[in-house]
Amino acid sequence: MDIPLDENLCLKLYEQMLTIRMFEEKAIELFEHNFIRGNVHPCIGQEAVSVGVCFNLHREDYMINTHRGHGNCIAKGADLKWMMAELLGKSTGYCKGKGGSMHIADFEGGNLGANGIVGGGIPIAVGAGISIQNRGTDQVVACFFGDGATNQGTFHESLNLASLWKLPVIFVCENNLYALSTPLKESISTPRISDRAVAYGIPGMNIDGNDVIGVYVKTKEAVERAKAGEGPTLLDCITYRFFGHFTGDPGRGTTYRSKEEMDQWLSRCPINTFRTQLLQEKIMTEEMDQTIEGNVKTSIEEAIRFAKESPSPSPEEATQDLFY
Amino acid sequence: MATTVIMPKLGLTMTEGTIEKWLKQEGDHVQKGEPLVEIITEKINFQYESPASGILRKILHHEGEVVPVTVPIAIIAEEGEAVEEVEMARPEAPAEIPLPAAVPRESKEPSQRIFASPIARKMAQEKGLDLSSIKGSGPTGRIIKMDVLKATEKGAAPPIQRPSEKLIPLKGIRRIIAKRMTESFQNIPHFYLSLEIDMTSCLALYEQLREEVERRTKLRFTLTDILVKVTASALKDQPIINSRIEGDQIHLIEEINIGVAIALEDGLIVPVIHHADQKSLIEIASTLRGLTQKAKEGKLSLEEVGGGTFTLSNMGMLGIDKFNPIINPPECSILGVGRTVEKPVFHGGEIKVRPMAWFSLSSDHRIVDGATASLFLNHIKKLVENPPLLLL
Amino acid sequence: MERDPSLMLIGEDIGRYGGIFGVTKGLLEEFGPHRVRSTPISESAIIGSALGAAMTGIRTVAEIMYVDFTTCAMDQIVNQVAKMRYMSGGKAKIPMVIRTQGGGGRGNAAQHSQSLEALFLHIPGLKVVMPSTPYDARGLLKTAIRDDNPVMFIEHKLLYATKGPVPDGEYLIPFGQSDIKRKGRDVTIAAISYMVMKALKASERLAGEGIEAEVIDLRTLVPLDLETILQSVRKTNRVVVVHEGCRRNGIGAEISSLIQEEGFDFLDAPVERVGSLNVPIPYTESLEKAVIPDEEDIISAVKKVLYRT
Repeated sequence: MDIPLDENLCLKLYEQMLTIRMFEEKAIELFEHNFIRGNVHPCIGQEAVSVGVCFNLHREDYMINTHRGHGNCIAKGADLKWMMAELLGKSTGYCKGKGGSMHIADFEGGNLGANGIVGGGIPIAVGAGISIQNRGTDQVVACFFGDGATNQGTFHESLNLASLWKLPVIFVCENNLYALSTPLKESISTPRISDRAVAYGIPGMNIDGNDVIGVYVKTKEAVERAKAGEGPTLLDCITYRFFGHFTGDPGRGTTYRSKEEMDQWLSRCPINTFRTQLLQEKIMTEEMDQTIEGNVKTSIEEAIRFAKESPSPSPEEATQDLFY
Repeated sequence: MATTVIMPKLGLTMTEGTIEKWLKQEGDHVQKGEPLVEIITEKINFQYESPASGILRKILHHEGEVVPVTVPIAIIAEEGEAVEEVEMARPEAPAEIPLPAAVPRESKEPSQRIFASPIARKMAQEKGLDLSSIKGSGPTGRIIKMDVLKATEKGAAPPIQRPSEKLIPLKGIRRIIAKRMTESFQNIPHFYLSLEIDMTSCLALYEQLREEVERRTKLRFTLTDILVKVTASALKDQPIINSRIEGDQIHLIEEINIGVAIALEDGLIVPVIHHADQKSLIEIASTLRGLTQKAKEGKLSLEEVGGGTFTLSNMGMLGIDKFNPIINPPECSILGVGRTVEKPVFHGGEIKVRPMAWFSLSSDHRIVDGATASLFLNHIKKLVENPPLLLL
Repeated sequence: MERDPSLMLIGEDIGRYGGIFGVTKGLLEEFGPHRVRSTPISESAIIGSALGAAMTGIRTVAEIMYVDFTTCAMDQIVNQVAKMRYMSGGKAKIPMVIRTQGGGGRGNAAQHSQSLEALFLHIPGLKVVMPSTPYDARGLLKTAIRDDNPVMFIEHKLLYATKGPVPDGEYLIPFGQSDIKRKGRDVTIAAISYMVMKALKASERLAGEGIEAEVIDLRTLVPLDLETILQSVRKTNRVVVVHEGCRRNGIGAEISSLIQEEGFDFLDAPVERVGSLNVPIPYTESLEKAVIPDEEDIISAVKKVLYRT
């Protein structure tokens, strides 16, 4: 397989996907041990999309994501300690414990926030695009959402407006084929989500979301279009989640997905396939793999330790941060 | 390295789960990710996967058990690896400040209701006018501002002397006592038994031991100390009294922990002498003196007021002859002791003057009946009137 | 627009058309299409993109043509705009105004005549402003635009035609400051938006019967100036709250609750609320008149609290 990329970049892509995978596994464990409240929506299996897209973004580019956003946040450069602290509701978290898993935002890193409303962040991304256009800068906006969100009114209003005004937005659909338990064929009226781009006069690309290199390359094209003032692109990245919709979905989502389907996708795990490729192409050795894995493990354990040792916010903080 | 498997939190609102079926038995090999146990919560059946590989060394909770989230349910370890007994955390019963005798409630007659607007009331009060002497022209006879103004002009009824009212807010220990007392009195079907007991031998024992005890402990020795020992012994004999109701079961408690009611300035507190049956008189005396001191300084810890299985309330020193104490929940009974009074009694065919005291036992009729409680109270009488029996 | 070169307007028909009430006339020509953006009919996108732009450095005024249409963008207003700053632990700054207009009386019928301020009052994170005079509108709008927080600026369609003195120079009216539009001793009337006008007219008629009403124009509902109302109540001992929204759970419910909590001892009568009947606004004039409060309703309410019925 011909990997048209720099070796170093490949190793970074691999490390980042591994970081996301291990972070999510630990988050699930912490949830089961009652350290995390509410719910966690793991993106296990979808790592290649976040990483492939975000590696095309600079720190000052904007990104908006969803309830399944830990992977997007990490790929955009979030600090694991502050993310973990936010999950544990501590005052050292990104949102001082006020947002939680579904609302993590890192404004300095360009992350305008995860959103708990499906499709809620898409118009906001459009707004960021307008801001870039008005200020005349070279930034772009990556807007992540799922297959379910493409049925929300906001998806259609936003794509229309962004196309009309040629805003520098890359609309990335993390299409894991299910909106909770509803499969694509029971919710999308066109054969593919990428078909919807036609309605708004923008290019729609249907991509193998588990091929991190493929995602990376296609996103690069979309970013170039955006910067050239040619407007938005819709990237329909086909992927799969290996866990249930959230921690609370019995049997890891196998009440509505068949074991055969799951097994098939497991065999196409983005991390495993990329690892195999890198080993085959001699870009990575077994030793390097162990080192990377060890490093990732360490940084996650550090993050957990930091989070556990951090203080909880005091009750007085409940009424702060409402108005500026 | 051993892995403790806990009852996992599998959903937003889950607080406990039922172990439906262990898919592996003790001694079996398990692989990480292999289904280990079926858990039911809110009618949903989860197959929980093993978080580690190894041997399922110990199953801590069995099929059918309901286990709160994060409590350990099993241990996985390597063959031959040492496995420490995992402390099965049971939530501590919250420390309660237990209470004694009830104050009889007075019922008040509802007074005639006067309707007046807030400003009318305020003005009447300021002018010292009696609202009941003012006719209200508002709806439902409401006295309004205008009516008070008119009454002022006319020179209405002379100012009434209102008795000054002092209001004490119900807070702190008083509030807790109020709540607990109400709870106990309302929920527990109390019944009361009383016996007058001849204190001669008991007082003699007290005199005999006092010097020695006070010499050894450098603390005061009291009659209450002996009564604690007596009660502990009686409880050993009648374990049903040393129990509590839990749902629809009676839980017989192994430990005999006797609470002793102590009057403080702002309320009652009942520190507990743990394992009173295993303590000598000297140990009881020094423990109780220590607890009393701490109580007076407000320094009792949660452990020192918790875990009681029976309460003793001695109101003799307050000059009370006889009283029916209120049970200290969740205990089964409480013993109230009155003052010792020299009385003429029939003793061996003659009238003699003996020191007598009333012992009153209040009990929970859900747990014991009159006969059982009588046996207990009579046993106490036997021990008090014949203390050497305590040596047996 | 001149003072802040980044200030952007976004809404439907606000460019060439100048807005349906002419509020933005001439602005497109002067400031160009990046700063005066006319959109398709996409309320969610309007509010959402105003939020996104405000969060990333562009102070924005979004226009929703009728307050009735804010319901099409409720998720963006309630779940996004109002909560973004709080959820991010105070990191987001949202310098944004949502301008809209409401109210009936022109036969626009049920879906174009509502007064929905009570909904926004209930959502923490939004400031709510409703001016009643040209003077107040200018001063309050300037404050709203300069505020770095989300402001619901709700105008009234019948007030666009009113005229009043407006000084040329710069002036700002702070939020949380009501205005006593008429002084009086016998009764306090607390009103908002167009109802202030009706309350003033009612007061003139009441004066003819020897009743001097004090009319307080609340101007901002969040933050609310309760103290001015309380001061007035201490003087008059009776209050009537007047609003155009439905009486049931209208802003009068909250305000009367606050008054009885803080001013209980001074009340000679229960607080009276005057609001629209609990029905949608009907089309025919006679029916519309029956539903929306008028001077008669205000006068009756005043007499009730004076026990003069």
